[in-house]
Amino acid sequence: MRNQLEGLTKHIPGTADFIKIDQSKCNGCGLCARICIVNLWGIKDGVAFIRDDYKEKCLECGSCGQVCEPNAIDFSYPAGGTGIVYKQG
Amino acid sequence: MKVFDLIIVGAGPGGSMAAKVAAEEGLKVIFFERGRKPGEKNSSGCGLGPRMFRDFPEMMKDLTPDKCPSMRAGTASRNYFVNNDDIVAGYIMARPTESVSYEPAKSWITMNVYRSEFDPWIAKFATDAGAELKTSTLIVDLLKENGKICGVIDEKGEKYRAPLVVGADGVLSTVAQKSGLRNKWAQNQVTLVPQYDFQASSDKIDDIMGDETLGVWWGSNFPASYQVFFNDGFHQGLGNWMNWWDSNPLYYLNRVINLKYYQRLLKILDAKPRELQSHLLPWLQYPYNTHTDGVILIGDAGGFPCPLEAEGIYPAMVTGKVAAEVIVDAITSGDVSKNALSKFDEMWQKTSVGEEFEAGEELYNIWKALPFSHKETMTWFVPMFMEALGGIYDWSQPHAKRVRQIAAAIKSYSPKALPFMMKYVFPLVAKIFEDDLDKMMDPQKLMSVLPKILDMLPKKKGKRGGKL
Repeated sequence: MRNQLEGLTKHIPGTADFIKIDQSKCNGCGLCARICIVNLWGIKDGVAFIRDDYKEKCLECGSCGQVCEPNAIDFSYPAGGTGIVYKQG
Repeated sequence: MKVFDLIIVGAGPGGSMAAKVAAEEGLKVIFFERGRKPGEKNSSGCGLGPRMFRDFPEMMKDLTPDKCPSMRAGTASRNYFVNNDDIVAGYIMARPTESVSYEPAKSWITMNVYRSEFDPWIAKFATDAGAELKTSTLIVDLLKENGKICGVIDEKGEKYRAPLVVGADGVLSTVAQKSGLRNKWAQNQVTLVPQYDFQASSDKIDDIMGDETLGVWWGSNFPASYQVFFNDGFHQGLGNWMNWWDSNPLYYLNRVINLKYYQRLLKILDAKPRELQSHLLPWLQYPYNTHTDGVILIGDAGGFPCPLEAEGIYPAMVTGKVAAEVIVDAITSGDVSKNALSKFDEMWQKTSVGEEFEAGEELYNIWKALPFSHKETMTWFVPMFMEALGGIYDWSQPHAKRVRQIAAAIKSYSPKALPFMMKYVFPLVAKIFEDDLDKMMDPQKLMSVLPKILDMLPKKKGKRGGKL
């Protein structure tokens, strides 16, 4: 299924950034990378980073911010009327 | 600045219910939705129980397929038991039993609808009652004056003023955070649920599933996974608390999808994946910090999903209704203090949601120990259960010998099964039956009796040289 994920989500573009990471707080635990359903997180040099195109992929579940024990990840929501759209949610 | 009697952040089933009730009572209400329409950000979807139709009859009789084309009601559920080798070792299809007391619940168990249809439908009751719905609007902060909450601020800086704000904004409630009621959930209070929606034709589902609307896949290699059938598709999802995941959640969901049995089901249903979804939901033993000066939290924002299986729509609607009734009184009397709003707790505790939470700790614990601990529990539970369910279907031995073999096998699981019963099942039974069973369920007494019961199980018979 993994390689079939393309096309299974729909996004309305136009939001500003809504996920921010304070890399000075990150302890490199990698939980964000483990938990993200759509693989938006990676670890480089012991610090988490988010993919550049996350705004077009994010499911807005907020798991990354929730699992982050040092609270390095600040998850808010995209601008009203943008982001993920679930037709069969 | 726009001024209202009541501001509700969130236009899901809870927010819309609160908006409807408050508007009907004459309050000037606005409710906000960050999506372009209610429901397009939600993926819980969505089994409505007969209790919805019992508690909200006037509304629910208006729910018809022309308004919610995804509707599918059905009478049966199916529990699949998947063993350590990823084989469906057996299943139980179940229909409502003779003890069901609410007459309509004898003929159907759930009415399933997509949130993209259900949420706009329920929001219309609120707007019809006079509440103002503002969509595509993200509320980012609370408006405060002299430290007192007096409204909300949207992402564009626009301010809306009201003496009371209801947080109906889901698991990551901004209202909860900005009011100081909750900064962040503990990891064992919040569950992540990845979910696929599959497209399948209505006719195929009718032919193959009949009136089954719900499947639960109990496995040794994944946390229990649910399957919910809609008119022209179905959801397959699973969940667990945030402190549990040792691999990507989709890895576990895909283990269900990749079962041979499941693949066969997809094939005969001619089902194709249509949407990938993911959401968080609170899953608590008991809701707390539900209100403060000028603020009430309802639904997911307040931590109200069912402590057993985390269904959240009905608790959201019940707490939304109760909150609106408390708010009408508070506005009328001019007292929106935390003390006055504590009536909210008194009121929801008297509802069926409150009754559900009376055994909240025990329900939460048994769910944690069984479906959410598949490696620890389902690995012995499935083979033990299948001995009882299917062990007799063997034509290699005389049946009497099989019965002895089955009894011995079941007995061999007792070192795991008995502590499980002691720790999780008996406390729940004792709580549910209250004093009546307290004495009977005394753990020490049981521990002294159970070995004797086990001794009574048949042992190997020497006669005719039969070996187990």
